[in-house]
Amino acid sequence: MTTAFVDLDVRPTLRAGGEPFGEIIGAVNALAPGQGLRLLATFKPLPLFQVLGSKGFTHEAREIGGGDWEVLFTPGDAPAAQPQNAPAAAPSTDEWPAAVREMDNRDLDPPEPMVRILAATEAMQAGEVLCALLCREPMFLLPELAKRGHAWRGAFEPDGTTYRILIRIDGAKGAA
Amino acid sequence: MPGVTLSRWTMSYFALAMACLIAALALIVFGFGYPAMGVAAPQTLALVHLIAIGWLSLLLCGALFQFVPVLIARPLHSDSLPLATLIFLGAGLVLLLCGFLHLAGLPGPAWSVLPWGGALLAFGFCLAIYNLGRTLWAARPLALPARFVTVGLASLAATVLLGWAFTLVLGGVSASPLLAELTVGALPLHAIAGLGGWLTFTAMGVSYRLLAMFMLAPERDGRSTRAALWLGAAALTVAIAGGVAAIWVGFGPAWALAAGGLLALGALGNYGHDIVQLYQRRKRRVIELNSRMAGVALAHLAAATLLAIVLTVTGTLGHYVGALVFLTVFGWLTGLGMAKLFKIVAFLTWLECYGPVLGKVDAPRVQDLVVERRAARWFWLYFAATDCAVLALLADQPALARIGAAAMLLATGAIGHELIRIRRLADVRGAVRLPPGTRQPHLLVSLVQHA
Repeated sequence: MTTAFVDLDVRPTLRAGGEPFGEIIGAVNALAPGQGLRLLATFKPLPLFQVLGSKGFTHEAREIGGGDWEVLFTPGDAPAAQPQNAPAAAPSTDEWPAAVREMDNRDLDPPEPMVRILAATEAMQAGEVLCALLCREPMFLLPELAKRGHAWRGAFEPDGTTYRILIRIDGAKGAA
Repeated sequence: MPGVTLSRWTMSYFALAMACLIAALALIVFGFGYPAMGVAAPQTLALVHLIAIGWLSLLLCGALFQFVPVLIARPLHSDSLPLATLIFLGAGLVLLLCGFLHLAGLPGPAWSVLPWGGALLAFGFCLAIYNLGRTLWAARPLALPARFVTVGLASLAATVLLGWAFTLVLGGVSASPLLAELTVGALPLHAIAGLGGWLTFTAMGVSYRLLAMFMLAPERDGRSTRAALWLGAAALTVAIAGGVAAIWVGFGPAWALAAGGLLALGALGNYGHDIVQLYQRRKRRVIELNSRMAGVALAHLAAATLLAIVLTVTGTLGHYVGALVFLTVFGWLTGLGMAKLFKIVAFLTWLECYGPVLGKVDAPRVQDLVVERRAARWFWLYFAATDCAVLALLADQPALARIGAAAMLLATGAIGHELIRIRRLADVRGAVRLPPGTRQPHLLVSLVQHA
């Protein structure tokens, strides 16, 4: 049986400094039974092999030049896209709960977006997620989040001008 | 993606740079080098390099080690190389200046220290180019501001190679005819690569991002920005590579400089268009002192461009080249440098001191570290004095120009004093100054608190 592959190119997201994990899991969950995923990335995505392996996918990776990689994720005997059957993944790779707090910081002078985000994180409970919109990648915020043990995922929206960051309170503490 | 932390040695670069600027202005006031002496006098060469390397290059290197990672959203290749770079650049500059003074007849060893100064400077700049180059290389494909910086670094390499060749010939180390021809004919190329390529082109690239960031303006990445980049890169290639080739085949570099000049006008026109758009389309109506003073510096870049055209057309460029360089160095580069320094020192000091406790305790805002009203007076005095000095030079009144330089020295000293006050948190009042969990930043070094 030949497998039909759905293409997903996360190279633009990676080159913009973004985190494509949510995009990839979204694409995997949207696959029809029997469909595979053809992923294009700027590096060999080793962590994904384990995560998608736990969902029953086998992988085949090859370098396609310029440092880029093509990975074919083929569904095994187990039906694809059944996250409830997957063993518990590491805290950094599981699904995050919906954001309990949203902020639009796009019209604030720097470093006010950082000040407000850190103030908000101090008032939230462990495991809760904060979603903030920014007009650029918050380069000075990220080390501060790391120091405080929070996990984050961020990427530019398709419009290329809004940066969306999700912060999970104390999310990096369990992973450490 | 780990984000960007504070560059430990950036404050040391800034401090040494400001010290060199103040020393250079004092030398001008006391009649050492131009305008009291000729533009080609060894004393003037020492003065020019004290400003171009000691002040402007150290300032730019310190700023790039901190902000190239912000431009490309990746950490610096090496956080430890900047200290070695600073030591080599500082030592190389001292030897280079001693070598020039030796040429001027001041006492020194029987052999020339110029080639040694040139070698140490070349090595120091190589370290900077390697560190920043590796950082940029890892982030390909680059956004436009970072491409300007890349062209600036290539120009720095050209400047350093030419300069080192000069020191080998002037210091009596090399008798190569190729290098000797360069020493005779390539001085304008060295100056253009340094002032135009390295300092101006890099500052242009960084200004795109910093102005957009501080004024909440949409980033420029359209046709005019690409045109500014490619025309500028073409101008520098034609002027520098074409000029060197022309010298070696026996023509003068004049045609290459003329062609490069025309391309440069195209680049500056597009850049000017972008900058006007950035100021007009900003979301933040009331802008901070640094953005206002950057605007004044940009107006001086426009004035310098206009002056260059007028002097070229009237055939008086040779006579007034000193005034043109003075306007470019002090009105544009130094004005922009001090304006951005005022913001950057405040921001980095705030981040270093209050970053770890943000959201946990009451902390001051960045604006609370500065007193803009007081600093604004000194900035206006600085620009007014610079303009008076340039007018005096154009009127062939060097003594008057030195009086202008005295006012520039006073204003620069006062701005330096403001920077020290910022670093010492001297204008932050009350209990928020040092809340629990914070500590007073060191004057010269940024200490990064790790998790």
